[in-house]
Amino acid sequence: MSDETNRDLSAYPIEEPLSEEFVELEEFRHEEGELVDYQSDSDDLGTLDEAVEEDGGRNSFVDVLIGNVDADAPVGIDDQFVLGEEMPTGKLQLVTRQTQIKEFTLMSIFFACAIVAVLGVTLIFAFVAYKAFPIFTEVGIGNFLTGTEWSGTEGLFGIVPFIVGSFVVTIGALVIGAPLAVMTAVFMSELASPKIRSFVRPAVELLAGIPSVVYGFFGVVVVAPFIARLFGGVGFGPLTAWIILAIMIVPTIATLTEDALGAIPMGIREASFAMGANQWQTIYKVVLPAAKLGIIDAIILGMGRAIGETMAVLMVVGNAPQLFAGITAPISTLTSQIVLDMGYATGTQRTALFGMAAILFLISMSLVLFVRLLSRFGQEMSG
Amino acid sequence: MSQNEGISVLVSGMGSSAGIEAAVSGTAEIGTSSRELHDGEGEDLVDIPIAYDGIAAIVNPHNPVDEITTEQLRAIYSGKVTNWSEIGGEDLPIDIINRDESSGTRDAFASNIMDGERFDVGAVILPGTGQVREVVARSRGAIGYISVGFVDPRFGTDPVKALVLDGVAPTDDNVANGSYPISRVLHFFTNGEPEGATLQYIKYVLSPEVQQGAVIEAGYLPVTTLGGQD
Amino acid sequence: MSLKRDQMVNNFALSLFWIAAGITVAALFTIIIYVVVRGIGVITPTFVFTWPHGVNAEGGIFPTIISSIYVTGLAMLIATPIAVLAAVYLAEYAKQGIAVKIIRFAADSLASVPSIVMGLFGFAFFIEAFGLPLSMLSAALALSLLMLPIIMRTTEEAIRGVARYIRWGSYGMGATKWQTVSRVVIPAAMPRIITGLILAMGRAIGETAVVFYTMGQAINLPAIPTDSGRAMPIHLYLLAVEGINMPAAYGTAFLLMALIFIFNLIARLIARRYKKLQE
Repeated sequence: MSDETNRDLSAYPIEEPLSEEFVELEEFRHEEGELVDYQSDSDDLGTLDEAVEEDGGRNSFVDVLIGNVDADAPVGIDDQFVLGEEMPTGKLQLVTRQTQIKEFTLMSIFFACAIVAVLGVTLIFAFVAYKAFPIFTEVGIGNFLTGTEWSGTEGLFGIVPFIVGSFVVTIGALVIGAPLAVMTAVFMSELASPKIRSFVRPAVELLAGIPSVVYGFFGVVVVAPFIARLFGGVGFGPLTAWIILAIMIVPTIATLTEDALGAIPMGIREASFAMGANQWQTIYKVVLPAAKLGIIDAIILGMGRAIGETMAVLMVVGNAPQLFAGITAPISTLTSQIVLDMGYATGTQRTALFGMAAILFLISMSLVLFVRLLSRFGQEMSG
Repeated sequence: MSQNEGISVLVSGMGSSAGIEAAVSGTAEIGTSSRELHDGEGEDLVDIPIAYDGIAAIVNPHNPVDEITTEQLRAIYSGKVTNWSEIGGEDLPIDIINRDESSGTRDAFASNIMDGERFDVGAVILPGTGQVREVVARSRGAIGYISVGFVDPRFGTDPVKALVLDGVAPTDDNVANGSYPISRVLHFFTNGEPEGATLQYIKYVLSPEVQQGAVIEAGYLPVTTLGGQD
Repeated sequence: MSLKRDQMVNNFALSLFWIAAGITVAALFTIIIYVVVRGIGVITPTFVFTWPHGVNAEGGIFPTIISSIYVTGLAMLIATPIAVLAAVYLAEYAKQGIAVKIIRFAADSLASVPSIVMGLFGFAFFIEAFGLPLSMLSAALALSLLMLPIIMRTTEEAIRGVARYIRWGSYGMGATKWQTVSRVVIPAAMPRIITGLILAMGRAIGETAVVFYTMGQAINLPAIPTDSGRAMPIHLYLLAVEGINMPAAYGTAFLLMALIFIFNLIARLIARRYKKLQE
């Protein structure tokens, strides 16, 4: 009942003397089973049960007060928490005004902390965009975004090769990495015995923990020479980057996909089996379609990881500021070019690098936005 | 060294241009750089040469080509010559290894060899001397350029071959006497005349102890061997 | 449509899933084994506890280890209180609405900011605009922005995972909201919060692009937060591209991965212990 408690503390003017009415929470006036709007900010009314469901059981205090608790409702399992020593020595009394102020102050502090994320992300974009701004006046947004030649020493600042490079590298990594990751997730969720799963899952998580510079190092000393032996040349280029990035995005996509698969009710699998479908048919016709949106989410977030990846790409992609010229011909990306030039760039070139950073920021931000819209779309579809 | 006790020196490495930038902005007392100042860059900077260095074009030891001319090198790096057979080698595509634009080695190579021509945009760009060396050492068709000092096998696991350029081998002597075509000076830059601890440190670096010791050990030539070169 | 054919397709398809999982696990082991085999021989007390010296960066990498741990710890100190309290707000106080939507979107966006963008921002903001030196502090500030959404998310999940009846008990005894949150909910969620913190540390200690532009690359043993230093990932990067001392590069990669795996192991142990307690 945190929302409502909280409302008691904040919505009531502090000056208002506490009275008996204070305890008489408005919820008491509701009849059992009546439609109650628990989410004062939203318009949709739901049943009480839905409201409880929606807030994940946090606000159940009020359910107790109203005597509307479903006896069959699943109860948590935190038995290890020993009520006792740590519990406040509860004296049943109305909260004093002092407590009220304290509670309100604390909530404000928490809110301020929550706002830090908003401030942080706004500040990052605003500052990077501010630093990038002169590029529009000095080079012109058209030349910057559509120019195909980049040479700091000659004053050429066209970033088309890097945008193309970033997408070439990202899409190739997805083509290799996404099927691998989704299949690994299906394996963990649908096929593996608990014992095998308890081995594969930590492996996938560890893969996520390896720093990108180690991936890059591995790419330089192992993958690039290997590619060079297979295809000739020196081994730096999109193909090498695809392999390294594909491994790097597997954990992101696999863990999120597994979560999506885990959220599918067991019943629909059972129904499928009951109708005589075998395991592959169940996975292909029932499980994967049911988790479709979750899987798309996972792949998009994997895409975000790939497009923003810096050190590993820098070390293996070859860094030639040219348009895509084959899977073993070196190219450069937005991220790798920033690192390469940041060490010496001054003046216009530096603003160009910040401009590239701002574009990267916008790309990753729009991927997040897309995922949000997708999940809203999914909610609408399902109900 | 005793007279320098109590002076601690913090070294940051970020590429030649960053070194100049740091000296201009005052972020560092001394900016180190392996390239000359560009026009209009850091008017107040005092240039103190501390070592001398040549740049060698290197190829894989299995590559039969031993000699090259400045013109051929320029043709390769500008993308006009793309196969070793065109300059008398085997029929094998040339894989050009270039350095990033912040590199002083690239700067020296460009000003000595390229003669205003643009580098081939399709060349692999590697951010470090060691990596250029490693890649050339394992790739039969590759060509790169590094400091003469770093050709020495002690700087890598596999050997590379330094090409004779315009008939002159990239040896210490040839670099020192100025007959080798690509050479450069390694600089300290200070913002205004150095004084105090900075001056003391510069004197230390220019002392025979460092010049005949660390400088040679690092693969460079002592500044004292300069034969009246710039 | 014979059943036999279905059966064959089934077997074939399922074996593909096994292969996919096999490739994923194999990729992990290839990297680990490669780095361990090449790196473990380099690990000596000298390597861990002495300074690098000479042009080949012989000797040890002690200052880089300390710099990495220092900056990660400092970033942790900055990010943890803010992130945990923000999560408390989202999980316990916030009403669903536009404000919460914005906060969540911002946190997700923050989590998706490419590390190089964070690095450039850190450099332009903390160092150029605020005049902080290239230092532990600047790097920790930038890193804390990176860790913030990770800790927020894991903490919020942990708090939401606390059973509701525990709260009822607390409220039933007359505890205020803050008393309930601080003495009941957070202690109950603590193991999972700590797990999240440790994973965020693992992420921060391996971060390269952010510290590249905010900490500098001078090899230095940091004492105060405004000291500069060189973190392990940067040392590894420089060794790898300069290529002059590959054994040291393998050794650094090995130690870096070992540190991160130890973090993971600790997080896992805490999580397992917590699960056991639950059962």
